[in-house]
Amino acid sequence: MNMTSKIDIKHLNLFYGDKQALFNVSLKIPAFQTTALIGPSGCGKSSFLRCLNRMNDIVPHARMEGKVLLDREDIYAPSVDVVELRTRVGMVFQKPNPFPRSIYENVAYGPRIHALFKRKSELDEIVEVSLKRAALWEEIKDRLHQPATRLSGGQQQRLCIARAIAVNPEVILMDEPCSALDPIATAKVEELIDELREKFTLIIVTHNLQQAARVSQQTAFFHSGYLVETGETGALFTMPQDEKTQGYITGRYG
Amino acid sequence: MMASLSSLRKRRLKERCFRWAGLLSVLLALLFLGGILGNIIYKGVPAFFRTEISSKLYPNLLNSHARYTADSLWIVASDDVDMYYKKGYADRLSPPQIQEIKTLKEGGQIRLAFNGGFFSHSDSREPELAGIWGGLVGSCLTLLITFMTAFPLGVGTALYLEEFAPKNQLTHWIEANINNLAAVPSILFGLLGLVLFIHFLGLPRPSALVGGLTLGLMSLPVIVVATRSALLSVPQTLKEAALGLGATPLQVLFHHVVPTALPGIMTGVILSLARALGETAPLLIIGMVAFIATPPAHFLSPATVLPVQIFNWSRSSEMGFIENTSGAILVLLLLLALLNGVAVLIRRRFEALK
Ligand SMILES: Nc1ncnc2c1ncn2[C@@H]1O[C@H](COP(=O)(O)OP(=O)(O)O)[C@@H](O)[C@H]1O
Ligand SMILES: [Mg+2]
Repeated sequence: MNMTSKIDIKHLNLFYGDKQALFNVSLKIPAFQTTALIGPSGCGKSSFLRCLNRMNDIVPHARMEGKVLLDREDIYAPSVDVVELRTRVGMVFQKPNPFPRSIYENVAYGPRIHALFKRKSELDEIVEVSLKRAALWEEIKDRLHQPATRLSGGQQQRLCIARAIAVNPEVILMDEPCSALDPIATAKVEELIDELREKFTLIIVTHNLQQAARVSQQTAFFHSGYLVETGETGALFTMPQDEKTQGYITGRYG
Repeated sequence: MMASLSSLRKRRLKERCFRWAGLLSVLLALLFLGGILGNIIYKGVPAFFRTEISSKLYPNLLNSHARYTADSLWIVASDDVDMYYKKGYADRLSPPQIQEIKTLKEGGQIRLAFNGGFFSHSDSREPELAGIWGGLVGSCLTLLITFMTAFPLGVGTALYLEEFAPKNQLTHWIEANINNLAAVPSILFGLLGLVLFIHFLGLPRPSALVGGLTLGLMSLPVIVVATRSALLSVPQTLKEAALGLGATPLQVLFHHVVPTALPGIMTGVILSLARALGETAPLLIIGMVAFIATPPAHFLSPATVLPVQIFNWSRSSEMGFIENTSGAILVLLLLLALLNGVAVLIRRRFEALK
């Protein structure tokens, strides 16, 4: 791949206590593309994703070896500020998790804590732009100050995407963002993911192989902690090199 | 088919038995509760009224204006008269006295009126003049001290243990001991208060300060336990959402975790304060049993609290004090119900916000 890589993961091992969850994973994430992580349940996709914004820091007994380079800088170097890292690498979770506040306050929270604006009007603008980018603005523009928890599941998930966008990250990590959504909401989020690629580098964990094929340019297949195969999405789905990959995408297990 | 039918019948029978047993126990509990409450109300409500005698006994001997004003002058009768007039106990009155009361009754010169003094007077040796004001003020001052010490310390401890402390043997041991302390009989906290605040620190004995600090010690573990369980119930996903946006651990704590846990924390704090309000044993140990006839002027002056006053009154054999005891218990129950009501209100309000 001749693209510049946004994130470069080198020989990553992850342990939860004595149990090793990831084994010597090396992967390059190209900028402004969507990388899909697929594999059977429990193979370490979420664990891998959480290494990329150091979310595993808060898991007791979790220990990591190897390097994760974001724009050639090691994010695990002692000089790195985790708070700043997480503004550059945003995250959307499996279950929509809006704050129990208004829609507006959900999106405004990130800009507020990082003081990304000077005047209230600037904040209003950030909120509007983020909600528009998340394709939610039209639906909720006249109830911005209602509780976010009253939105439907699909709307909540798009709100969480808007919230992540509002701090203007470079990379957005998504851990099975559609697994709690119905097919129509899923289609909307997929469409959105495709548009977001213009501005952001995306990494998405998914259980749904069609979804991976639809939204991603690069796919990585994980199996029991090992990165088995990586490749351009079309190629990996049509001509898998490894028999485990082939077994998984033809539905023999998973 | 037959076998499954009979097993179905058995199951239904079991369910019905269970339902009846549950209903029965609820009814039994209600019966006891109703009995106790009814008894206290029956005995206590008369304490809110007192017997008064008109001063217009000898109109001819008073000045000429008194004819118009004296009508409104009613004087509190002695407790013996009070008991006779309310309930007909004549043991402590002589026949001529009873005759006099009867004459007064015929002339409309004796009456039952609202007993304002029961709320505005402090303790007294005479039951008809004794009131709960001193105890009420003492209870308020004491509870204020309890709140100001146990609330910040308890909530702070819980926040630290739950959110910041490393999870190791030592913190595990500390947590287990706090849980145990929450179940320690309150009288032991009285002993601790006696040694710590009176013998060691030399604080003045029956003061609201010492009482409040002692009750604070007692409330502390309860508040820690309640706060920790409220913090534990905050979903991990909420914390991750904030962390994922680059919030610092402190921001996560104060922007998200504490506000979400607040109703639970406040409920725990209020319930522990309610428990402190009704507590007697540890206060007896630290010497808050003295007879005190004036409300405390400040936190260091001699004070008594409502439950201790009830305790003292209940030891008297005089009929008037027995009535006062029930009356004061009614007031205490009302205050406790009020505190619990506040806890419920807080919970409702916060739930409506979600
Ligand atoms: N916090 C944790 N503590 C201990 N083990 C964990 C933790 N999170 C995940 N694991 C283990 O790591 C392995 C990979 O889990 P995960 O990354 O969630 O898989 P996936 O997202 O692919 O389903 C599983 O065996 C899981 O049990
Ligand atoms: Mg997962």
